[in-house]
Amino acid sequence: MTSVTSSTSVPTHSDGTGPAAAFAEPPLRAEGLTLAYDKTVVVEDLTVSVPRESFTVIIGPNGCGKSTLLRALARTMAPRSGRVLLDGEPITALRTKQVAKRIALLPQSPIAPEAITVGDLVARGRYPHQGLLRQWSPADEVAVRDALDATEVAGLRERLVSELSGGQRQRVWLAMALAQQTDLLLLDEPTTFLDIAHQLEVMDLCAHLHEQGRTLVAVLHDINQAARYATHLIAMKGGAVVAEGAPQDVITAERMADVFGLACRVVPDPETGTPMVVPARRGGHIRHG
Amino acid sequence: MTATLTRPPAPSGGHVPVLRLGALGTLHWRRRAVLVCLAMLAVGLIASLLTVTVGELGIPLRELPDVLAGNGSRAQEWVLRTNRLPRLLVGALAGAAFGVAGAIFQSVTRNPLGSPDVIGLGAGAAAGAAAAALVWPGVVPVAVGALIGAGVAIGAVYVGSGRGFAAPYRMVVTGIAVGAMALAFVQLALARATHEDAFAMSAWLNGSLASRRWSDVTLMAVALLVLIPLALMLTRRLQLVEMGDDAATGLGVDPTRTRNLAVGVAVLLTAAAVTVSGPVAFVALTSPQIARRLTRSTGPGMVAAACTGATVLVVADLIAQRLPFGVQYPVGVVTAALGGVYLAILLIREWRRGAV
Repeated sequence: MTSVTSSTSVPTHSDGTGPAAAFAEPPLRAEGLTLAYDKTVVVEDLTVSVPRESFTVIIGPNGCGKSTLLRALARTMAPRSGRVLLDGEPITALRTKQVAKRIALLPQSPIAPEAITVGDLVARGRYPHQGLLRQWSPADEVAVRDALDATEVAGLRERLVSELSGGQRQRVWLAMALAQQTDLLLLDEPTTFLDIAHQLEVMDLCAHLHEQGRTLVAVLHDINQAARYATHLIAMKGGAVVAEGAPQDVITAERMADVFGLACRVVPDPETGTPMVVPARRGGHIRHG
Repeated sequence: MTATLTRPPAPSGGHVPVLRLGALGTLHWRRRAVLVCLAMLAVGLIASLLTVTVGELGIPLRELPDVLAGNGSRAQEWVLRTNRLPRLLVGALAGAAFGVAGAIFQSVTRNPLGSPDVIGLGAGAAAGAAAAALVWPGVVPVAVGALIGAGVAIGAVYVGSGRGFAAPYRMVVTGIAVGAMALAFVQLALARATHEDAFAMSAWLNGSLASRRWSDVTLMAVALLVLIPLALMLTRRLQLVEMGDDAATGLGVDPTRTRNLAVGVAVLLTAAAVTVSGPVAFVALTSPQIARRLTRSTGPGMVAAACTGATVLVVADLIAQRLPFGVQYPVGVVTAALGGVYLAILLIREWRRGAV
């Protein structure tokens, strides 16, 4: 996994402006969404679309509601008002098991069952395709094997999930989501708790999954990684979308100041040419070269 | 039926044979779980034979088939049909119910201590039964009283936890409080009852299988026939909910609905079992854990928990009947003693792992 996919190598239709966008309605769209935990309103009257076949990344400061928005898109959180549309249909009108055949979710901190093997965990991704009496089929086996191969964890199949490193474990959870064989994949901070090499490994994997035609939506903290990998960026602040579009349009010094309160320069990434945020020198805390 | 046993590549590299039932579909099961269940049943069966054959009134093993077929002496018939057999069957069936209820609750609370007895359900059912038998006798049957008591207790846990059954830790803490209140009510009922009533009631409150009737067997059998299939249907969903609500939803399982249904099934199982055997301590807590460790399964194994619960209660009752102290102890005394030891082991293990 060494190839780095820059946003510029992705066909233009995927950012929602090309010719294909005319007939490609957004697979996932939030309309007038208000989201709240108990009495705390986190997101108010938000409308946003995920372009078809995009790699959409949601960025924003802590507490801006980006993970909450992702949870609402994944129907793991019920909106106080507004609605989420999956291929134009209200997601709440669909049976949750049917939705699970179309959207897979990698939550922020899933709980690995005690003493479960990698193979068994990934096999759980087949649940939406199974019934009470049809519990395991050759199609399930193929899907699990493909998912294990795609995430390069096939060699770990018999290992216990509890024995794995953080990077391996995250790839196993991704494999479980892939085994659902959905066109849409939602990822809530998939790189948190990973070191930089494993972060990039997971991002490369996501880029690869995107290239295969899936629509990805991820919440990320690292803006430079978001700029490298995303085809579509959504910047949030205080529960509202302040900017969306191609990374080079969204990531500007003014917007970083507005969204994160961060004084910075935005320069082309020397490796990929995508925008790169370089924080301005601050006070006297940094040693001068 | 064209059932063929094949071993295709399966999720865990082969120890999950698949049972193909022709047009009916395929079911997968683990060989280890099946072996554990068979071993449990074998132990239970041996204990059952001992229960029936040992003791002054015991029926010698070689005469047992004749007595079962109705060709024994009158005394033997009486011992078997009105004394030992109902007691044995009630024990096995109630044990199975406790086992499944425990498996459900431990799954819902994601906590090995989150069993119905710890969470106040057994105490609630006991309070309901005490109310029906002593405080307002004749208003409702004792079984209905137990069900109402269990229902009130779980309702109090639902409301008291503030987030229904979605917050395991709060659920356990609230449940302990509810259980304490229910036991206080039981003590109140005992205090104002007549001497004989109080004596009979306190034996039952320890959990007792003495002088069970065939009507108790029927009640348990019907309850299990209805509720165990429901529990089995919920097993896979409960497994997924154990991974967290978001992960479960992502896989197409509604966690709240699953929890509520499962808790409903467990409440009914507990109420039925408490009605016939009293709130026998620790069977619901220990059986699913023993089953889970033996089968090395990664979810609530309902069948294994049922087999283990049945065997645990039958063995405990055998011990209770054969304790060499002249008096017959209620089975609850034995399970409490065994459960106390088990609980200590569990806590020490958790403590060593740094979890407590």
